[in-house]
Amino acid sequence: MNQLIAAVLVLMVGAGLCFLPTRNSVRVAFGLVSQGLATLLTWSVVVPVLLGAPAVTGTMPWAYPIGELHFRLDALGAFFLSWSLPMTLLGSVYAVGYLQRYMAGPRHLGVHFALLNMVSLSFLLVYTGEHAITFLFGWEVAALAAWLLVIWDYGSQKVRFAGFNYLVSTHIGLIFLVAAVMILYTRTQSWFLDDFGVWLEHDPGVLRNTVFLLLVTSFGLKSAFFPFHSWLPRAHAAAPAHVSALMSGVIHKAGLYALLRFILLAGKPDEWMAWFLIAFSLLSALIGGLYTVGQRDLKRLLGYSSTENVGIAGVGFGVGCLGLSWQQPALVALGFGGGLLHVLNHAFFKCQLFYAAGCVYQVKHLVDMEHLGGLVKVMPVTALCFLLGGLAISGLPPLNGFASEFLIYSGLFGSSAGSVWAKLALAAGAALLAFVGAVSALSITRAFGVVFLGAARDDSLPAGHEVNRWMLFPMAVHALGTVVLGLAPVLGFAMVAGPIALLLHGSADAELASSLQPVLASLARIGAYSCALSLAIGVPLWLRARRRAPAVRRDLTWGCGYVLPSARMQYTGASFAIDFTQRFSNILALVMRRQVPMGYFPVTSQLEADCVDAVERRLYAVIGQGDATASDLSKKLQEDNPRLAFAMGLAVLALISAMVFLLEGALP
Amino acid sequence: MRATLALLHLLLLLCMPVVLVGVVNRTKSWWVGRRGPGLMQSYWDLRRLLGKRAVLSTTASALFRAGPYGVLVCHFFAASMVPMIGQFAPLQFSLDFVAVAYTLGLARVLLMLCALDVGSSFEGMGAARAASLSGFAEPALFLVVGSAAAATGLHSFADVIGSLQHSASYGWIVVPLVLALGILLQTEAARGPVDDPLTHLELTMIHEVMVLDHSGPELAAMQYAAALKMTLYTGLIAALLNPFDPLSAPWAALAFGVAAMLLVALAVGCVESLSARLPLRWVPAYVLLASALALLAMAMVGLGLGRP
Repeated sequence: MNQLIAAVLVLMVGAGLCFLPTRNSVRVAFGLVSQGLATLLTWSVVVPVLLGAPAVTGTMPWAYPIGELHFRLDALGAFFLSWSLPMTLLGSVYAVGYLQRYMAGPRHLGVHFALLNMVSLSFLLVYTGEHAITFLFGWEVAALAAWLLVIWDYGSQKVRFAGFNYLVSTHIGLIFLVAAVMILYTRTQSWFLDDFGVWLEHDPGVLRNTVFLLLVTSFGLKSAFFPFHSWLPRAHAAAPAHVSALMSGVIHKAGLYALLRFILLAGKPDEWMAWFLIAFSLLSALIGGLYTVGQRDLKRLLGYSSTENVGIAGVGFGVGCLGLSWQQPALVALGFGGGLLHVLNHAFFKCQLFYAAGCVYQVKHLVDMEHLGGLVKVMPVTALCFLLGGLAISGLPPLNGFASEFLIYSGLFGSSAGSVWAKLALAAGAALLAFVGAVSALSITRAFGVVFLGAARDDSLPAGHEVNRWMLFPMAVHALGTVVLGLAPVLGFAMVAGPIALLLHGSADAELASSLQPVLASLARIGAYSCALSLAIGVPLWLRARRRAPAVRRDLTWGCGYVLPSARMQYTGASFAIDFTQRFSNILALVMRRQVPMGYFPVTSQLEADCVDAVERRLYAVIGQGDATASDLSKKLQEDNPRLAFAMGLAVLALISAMVFLLEGALP
Repeated sequence: MRATLALLHLLLLLCMPVVLVGVVNRTKSWWVGRRGPGLMQSYWDLRRLLGKRAVLSTTASALFRAGPYGVLVCHFFAASMVPMIGQFAPLQFSLDFVAVAYTLGLARVLLMLCALDVGSSFEGMGAARAASLSGFAEPALFLVVGSAAAATGLHSFADVIGSLQHSASYGWIVVPLVLALGILLQTEAARGPVDDPLTHLELTMIHEVMVLDHSGPELAAMQYAAALKMTLYTGLIAALLNPFDPLSAPWAALAFGVAAMLLVALAVGCVESLSARLPLRWVPAYVLLASALALLAMAMVGLGLGRP
């Protein structure tokens, strides 16, 4: 525990030191060194806990009214901490390269790096907090730090709006969370998560269900589940690439952590909760996946794919809950194991993809894919990293996404309890997941093909070059993780075994081993399969590359006899997607602005296609209507009429007291 | 025994692609009153291509030459997990059909990326169509296997498909499942009425347009891989119908398997000759029919039809 407290202090001191020096490079160095130190300190406690040592606990006296603070690091928190801090460090390293051109300028970079330290700090608070206040405090620190990081380019109104949008959404989430905590506090008269757990476990009923729904809404907002994702595409498009990467890959995993913590506290969730979780997550995966297909902004696309991937992980958690309520340890292990592994894998490949998108932005100054093309020739390393990340995010072998999705499929097909209809429903869920996989393969093929392959579409942009090493290094580390966890998913199993054992609390060692065995076996098989596949593809290609082949003849691409081909004639992102998206035009809000050729000698004509967020659109429409109605109403009412004001106040008071009496009487 | 069967399976993977393409083409020429090419014609085509040197597009990157081999290897891996002679596949493990689907997915992504690599609008068009059709086709395979798995209680592809006939609902679900797999075959192997492999208009092709710029050995790899995919789906239908257990009666199972595959190829040829190609805007609905049929089978299993 002492190391964790030391890590917190190091991060805070480091954040403070970031402000002191006069040169940006020294400020940045303070930030990086303190992050590195904190990571090592954290690892020294976290790794033993993750590998099976008993949970570490600690208490700290605090002023009234909070009282004593409790901290506990168990396997679940350790799993999340073990990669959250190092990945934030990598993100900070990337930030050095990404913000290179400000390094010599007047802009104070220390603030940015201090905020990155605060993000790491929030992980330490959230993942170890046993006291509801520390948990909420860490939650809020993460939200505020992320907001301030997002508005790095605050000069632009668009960026400020995106940041504000995020800030409001995340606080709406906080309201739900606080409401849930208030209910729990009134029932238990305690701030400790353990006591919440005791009540949740022994008091199923309307209130527990209410708490569950409130918490799922709050965590859904945090992790950007559909339909609570509307802040996400804007924030991800506006933020610097490393901030988007950290938000999507690391920071918002706290929502999933909190969900798991709740499930762990609740002990045995009701069956409806499991089905609700599966359906809710499948919906997220489906809609998120569909939205990725229509996007033309590379970072927006990656943002939507976060919604898709938290959905996939959520399906795993739902299957695990089903296992808990059916008392099937094997299903619990498969479901939660797959979900947790997917969370880890997603952190690896999503950061990698965002970093690659950031590299594209650095050299081309935009990420609108309709203006890009042919980047594989100027930035081969970035292209390779994007391709590997893209294949992994589509769940394709031999990369890590395949291993975790395979476990989730094993859970969906692997239940031996339940009625035949339950089995069929799970199989249908698997089919829907397969559809999501195909959609995500489509959208990543489109993104990689349009941005990196073919020829450059816009000559007015700079030609481009490979980015600096500060940016390549974190991206390469993530790519390495993606490949290694794909070829040897057993390594991932070593990390998720602890949390699974925790979720299967109360089972004997032999039973635990027998329920973990299928997970281990299928991961080993998948590892062997992936290795075989990559060897079978890689070795012949490597041999051929080594052989000095005679020069091949090169000629123009087949153009059906057309003699003046131009790069503008290539298939664009919009034309690639339209076959698919127009079939879903009632889910996706497709926007087309066109000016068709007119007359015998048409001069200008143009077509612009985009896909905006339907939820956001609807939300603003509703807010706008509400605004109009309210102002109409206030025009009709005379506000300075004292009798009216008195009557209204009385009515509201009566309403509140009626609700209190009714609810106190009606609820258990 | 298993080693012999594995060898036989691999032997089928080597020769059936050529033969099946030959049978389909022969059937089509028979319907239009021509003699048509010999059964082994595609073998000679492949040999001719292997002897040539490739011509590359000036736009193409290194991915363009590597892709076709990746596609071929992926199809081989997938085909070695798919049952063809009854309840047997050389590579067999629990839930291997997920690996089959995703390995085929990898192949498809590589194929589409190769198409996009040359920067041609024709090939982009083909890739876009292939991508959206495969999206619509993807759930069908999982629904087929899911309903079969619920009916048999088994978990590997070969077991689920090969032992389905011992399950109570077999008589009810075999027809929708075979039809669903047939539609999948037409979609994934680019046969009519979904795609027309013999068209000469780039604007209407799907699979063929994606390999327009490949030449020499790479084109051979692409064509062989496509034929292998057709063999894979044909073999799947044959295994679903195969009444023999390959471990106790290997030769009967093999004979039945080969005969059934040839018959399926014949049926594919007949459908292609007798029905016109569907308009492109109807194709997704046709492909979704496979999922609908599989859902029907699922409902039959759920209702317990055929169970005493």
